[in-house]
Amino acid sequence: MDQDLTREEEEEKEEGLIEFYDSYRDMFEFFCKNTTIHGTIRLVCSDSNKMKTAFWTLLFLASFGMLYWQFALLFSQYWTYPVVTTMSMHSEPKMFPAITLCNLNPYRFARVSENLAELDFLAMETIASLYGSSAAANIFHGEEKIIKVKDLARKEPGNFGPSDFQLNRNIPLVRKYIIDPVSKKNISMVGFRLCNATGENCFDKTYSSGVDAILEWYKFHYMNIMSQLPVIINITVHEDQIEDLVYSCQYDGEPCKNSDYDHFHHPVYGSCYTFNKDGTNPFWKATKPGVAYGLSLILKAEQKDHIALLSTVAGVKVMIHNYNQTPFLEHEGFDIRPGIATTIGIQQDEVHRLGGNYGKCTVNGDDVNVKLLYKSSYTLQACVHSCFQNIMIQHCGCGYYYYPLPPDAEYCNYNKHPAWGHCFYQLYNRLADHHLSCFNKCPKPCSESWYKISAGSAKWPSPNSEDWIRRALSQQKGYNSTSNRKDIAKVTIFYHQLNYQSVNESPLLTLNLLLSSMGSQWSLWFGSSVLSVVEMLEFLLDTIVFSLIFGYKWSRSKKTLKMAQSPVISSVSLTLENYRTVPEGPGTESSSAQTFPNAGTIVASKNNDLPLHSVSNKIHTPELYPEVVLNGFRYIKDHCVDVDP
Amino acid sequence: GPQAPTLGELMRWYCLNTNTHGCRRIVVSRGRLRRLLWIALTLSAVALILWQCAELVLGYYSASVAVTVRFQSLRFPAVTICNTNPYKYSVIKEYLSELDKETRIALESLYGFSEGKPKVRRDAEDRNVTEYQYLEKVPLLRFEDLIRKEATDLHSGHKRKIESNVFHKGSTNTGDPQNMIGFQLCDPNNSSDCAVYTFSSGVNAIQEWYKLHYMNIMAQIPLERKVNMGYSADDLLLTCFFDGLSCDTRNFTPFYHPLHGNCYTFNSGENGTILSTSTGGSEYGLQVVLYIEEVDYNPFLVTSTGAKIIIHDQNEYPFIEDIGTEIETATATSIGMHFTQSRKLSEPYSDCTETGADINVENLYNKTYSLQICLHSCFQKAMVDHCGCAQYAQPLPAGAEYCNYKKHPSWMYCYYKLHEKFVKEQLDCQQKCKEACSFKEWALTTSIAQWPSTASEDWMLRVLSWDKGQKINKMLKKTDLANLMVFYKDLNKRFISENPANNIVILLSNFGGQLGLWMSCSVVCVIEIVEVFFIDSLSIIMRRRWQKTKKWWNSRKAKQSQLPAQGTGPGKQGHDNPVCIDEDLPTFNTALHLPLPQENHLPRTPPPNYSTLRLDTAFTEQLPDTLETESR
Repeated sequence: MDQDLTREEEEEKEEGLIEFYDSYRDMFEFFCKNTTIHGTIRLVCSDSNKMKTAFWTLLFLASFGMLYWQFALLFSQYWTYPVVTTMSMHSEPKMFPAITLCNLNPYRFARVSENLAELDFLAMETIASLYGSSAAANIFHGEEKIIKVKDLARKEPGNFGPSDFQLNRNIPLVRKYIIDPVSKKNISMVGFRLCNATGENCFDKTYSSGVDAILEWYKFHYMNIMSQLPVIINITVHEDQIEDLVYSCQYDGEPCKNSDYDHFHHPVYGSCYTFNKDGTNPFWKATKPGVAYGLSLILKAEQKDHIALLSTVAGVKVMIHNYNQTPFLEHEGFDIRPGIATTIGIQQDEVHRLGGNYGKCTVNGDDVNVKLLYKSSYTLQACVHSCFQNIMIQHCGCGYYYYPLPPDAEYCNYNKHPAWGHCFYQLYNRLADHHLSCFNKCPKPCSESWYKISAGSAKWPSPNSEDWIRRALSQQKGYNSTSNRKDIAKVTIFYHQLNYQSVNESPLLTLNLLLSSMGSQWSLWFGSSVLSVVEMLEFLLDTIVFSLIFGYKWSRSKKTLKMAQSPVISSVSLTLENYRTVPEGPGTESSSAQTFPNAGTIVASKNNDLPLHSVSNKIHTPELYPEVVLNGFRYIKDHCVDVDP
Repeated sequence: GPQAPTLGELMRWYCLNTNTHGCRRIVVSRGRLRRLLWIALTLSAVALILWQCAELVLGYYSASVAVTVRFQSLRFPAVTICNTNPYKYSVIKEYLSELDKETRIALESLYGFSEGKPKVRRDAEDRNVTEYQYLEKVPLLRFEDLIRKEATDLHSGHKRKIESNVFHKGSTNTGDPQNMIGFQLCDPNNSSDCAVYTFSSGVNAIQEWYKLHYMNIMAQIPLERKVNMGYSADDLLLTCFFDGLSCDTRNFTPFYHPLHGNCYTFNSGENGTILSTSTGGSEYGLQVVLYIEEVDYNPFLVTSTGAKIIIHDQNEYPFIEDIGTEIETATATSIGMHFTQSRKLSEPYSDCTETGADINVENLYNKTYSLQICLHSCFQKAMVDHCGCAQYAQPLPAGAEYCNYKKHPSWMYCYYKLHEKFVKEQLDCQQKCKEACSFKEWALTTSIAQWPSTASEDWMLRVLSWDKGQKINKMLKKTDLANLMVFYKDLNKRFISENPANNIVILLSNFGGQLGLWMSCSVVCVIEIVEVFFIDSLSIIMRRRWQKTKKWWNSRKAKQSQLPAQGTGPGKQGHDNPVCIDEDLPTFNTALHLPLPQENHLPRTPPPNYSTLRLDTAFTEQLPDTLETESR
């Protein structure tokens, strides 16, 4: 270290790479004089007056404390990541949403039609035993129904073999009487009982109304029967076609393209058709708001083929949703009444969440810990369903029929998994009570949009026009005219407004604003900046290095017992001190000391025969005039002392 | 500072005296490494300031939104009610009989359609008539093969080839051409230029075809006659209640709508008072029973039965055909409203218009500006410019008349072409029209109940029939009635207004924060920087330039003068004397051609630190004074 320093000393003609102070005092004074933190200069220059020093120290510490208290407040606010919700209206042209229509008439596939007929018969028997035989006869036109089913079975090409499914008759619907704890009255409850494999733990599914009980009971059996088939069947290979549901389709005054729809089969809602599934076809661009520019459909709404106990609703199920989303008709679909023209005005709403530190949300579902079973974009609903299905497969060993299956799993069927019903209902209750982790695992999507719907309805067709409309429709495929007005329906879906509201989250305190307010605080209390902080750091670093050098030297000199000489530490570039004194020197003595270097430069510059820089350099280089420099240096110190008393 | 002879001096002076932090350290630091570090730090601080301030400026024109919910008695909106059927069929029949007849014939030939005996008799009569006015004009066609462009004219039965250059509106890849029915519109001047309209269902084709002719016929009937043919207020409204008090037809303002005939606006504010409700709930809203005469409906024009209503502001035009809500007969429809008022900030925050005055489209509607009004007006204007007549469904611009094919035989083709252009945004309407900055919106929640109930049906129909009894002698049927309730769900008014997220005070204080944070700089510093770095340094650079050029000039001159001097011998004048060559500006001495004093190099009293130092050498007498004032 010593050698380094001496080497530096040798190189002192030019300014060294690293130069150091003579003593602690030198360093401290240099810091105090040159630092930009307000207050420190006062602290140093007033060192002759103890009172003043104490006062300035106190003041310095107090404002230091204030500053860091404010900083703490600022940072604690920043790290809670507060958001403001802003709302804005937009009116860009956009695409029409995707529309899914379902005819509520599940197809009876040959493979299961025998079992379904058997189930219908069982249901009829059950209802007869519970409510009397006349009720059942009214509900089913039993005989006729089965024949019809058998017809269907014969018609179906035999690519599905007959199944070995056995209808489980050991889950009967029973009526129970429970004494209500409040009113002490006998209430009749209808329900069925599901037990686990050992039969020890049983679960009663009871309802106060027989209607609900029968529907639930029927659905349970229906799922078991249908489990032999895949859940969403692409039935373009089968005989259903869009012409059977949609008689007329017009968008923005133009007929829809026959190929522009997606067709799938839903076990409860029957044949479903999705228009504008991808949202990429320019045909579906929305140009103007209003009924005339919307989607207008004439639909078949026949009900005579419906499975009577599966859904009790007549009409057509419609859902308006975003592109590439799986339509969850059971959650968001609404029904179209037969014999009615329904006009549905829609308006879009959007929500954008910030995500990241500001809240939990997912952009496309890739970072979600649940394997999505739906082949569409991420939605909360799809995630929860997938999550439930995965848990169901873990716990019960088989999948719930209404949700898609992961690879190498199978649907529940009480022939193979006798206790699945018990397992499923228990799990389902836990999901409903938020005891399953699904809601935690599935974050909301970061940007969501949905459609606000307002609907109006009118009788359609009107008595005057009914005749010709029926005639015109009768020419079309799949329409067999009945005198019943209620087998057709009209739907018009249109944009009520093309403006949409978008709710955005934006950070309340951005990094930008945080820095600004930090700067304000800093300036307020210290008049200092980040650079001042670096100055402080430099000072600290210097102190440490200086102490190390000093300690090292001290120990060395102790060893060699040569304490006479002080450590040789160079001091250069002090000439600059002169410049500092130029504007500050109010003292009379200073003028003579100052003018010399200035005069020197001016002389040099005036004298054009000599190169300008060399002359000024000569005057500046401290080693040529070390005394002057030291004088100047000392002088400043004195001056401080002079001024202060 | 400014007196500094060189840029380096100036910088040094600046760094020592500036108020910004960092700069001073560059100069006072000991050691090159330290100095370099401080230069880097200072420059990065400057960069950070610039970046952060740029972000602040970019974020300046953002708006935040305040939502306020107020409870107050709310102004009831205007409610416009129309019968879906525009004119009583029994009255308008005289104008439409020919068209209806031809429609029936078309239906017959299409579907083997016949309507009982009286029509058969009429058909028999019609067979004598060979001239079919409407079918001749725009024939309905059944398209056998779209690819080969073959179609059958439905009324003549002739096969015809569709002319070349077909501009086809429908889709080409339609599956079953057997079912395609449509019509074609041709440019009368150029019969090969045709637009073909096909429909996936005959229902739509016939309705569309009928509507086309219907509009032509209606355009020829004077307005007064049309109003007379429509429903009167007494026809439409059976009972009326508002805010628990009875009201009658005097509270309704008639409003003629081109497509829906006579409509009636409740609380239109035309008589100067606008009603308001003091309580929310269905009891305190508007309750009306409408008489919808089902039997008097036009069978081809409207296919659904009911009424259309729209809820709008008193100053807004009711676009009932676009966004009206239908209500059903034999039901009670209750419509709950929720009022929202929104205000956007106009320029520069967003592109919207306050009054519509700054938009280059004439407002034809005589109501407050809205985007919808602008688009319709713009289209109507284009229609008058291109086709020479105005479209029936929209108001007339000054000096124009409605289209009918007696006067404007080609208007239909022109209209469809123009509409095509409009949809494809080739008319510039979408660019010209901006959205309005403030708008009111009533969000509606509709619920439907069966009405009248089977128990009350009997007496209710009796009473209502008796009320109306002066005109109609038969009992009313419940399918002729509709009950409508419009009410505020609650009296919360939601007011969404945009406010500037930043004002100039916040922007400046944030600027101050950034400047202070990185370099403890202020506006004074910024001015200082501008002064030193731009004005002073420029002046120094200019001075040095000047010196150099002058030096060069003098040396060149000297060379030039030397060469001839050598040829002719030494010159006599002091100016040409090489001893006297001075590269300074012409001074007093040189100007007088005086030889410069030889002791020029010798040190003397220090000159002042002016920037104009060199020029001052001529006025040495003043030097001591300035020096003294400087040093003091």
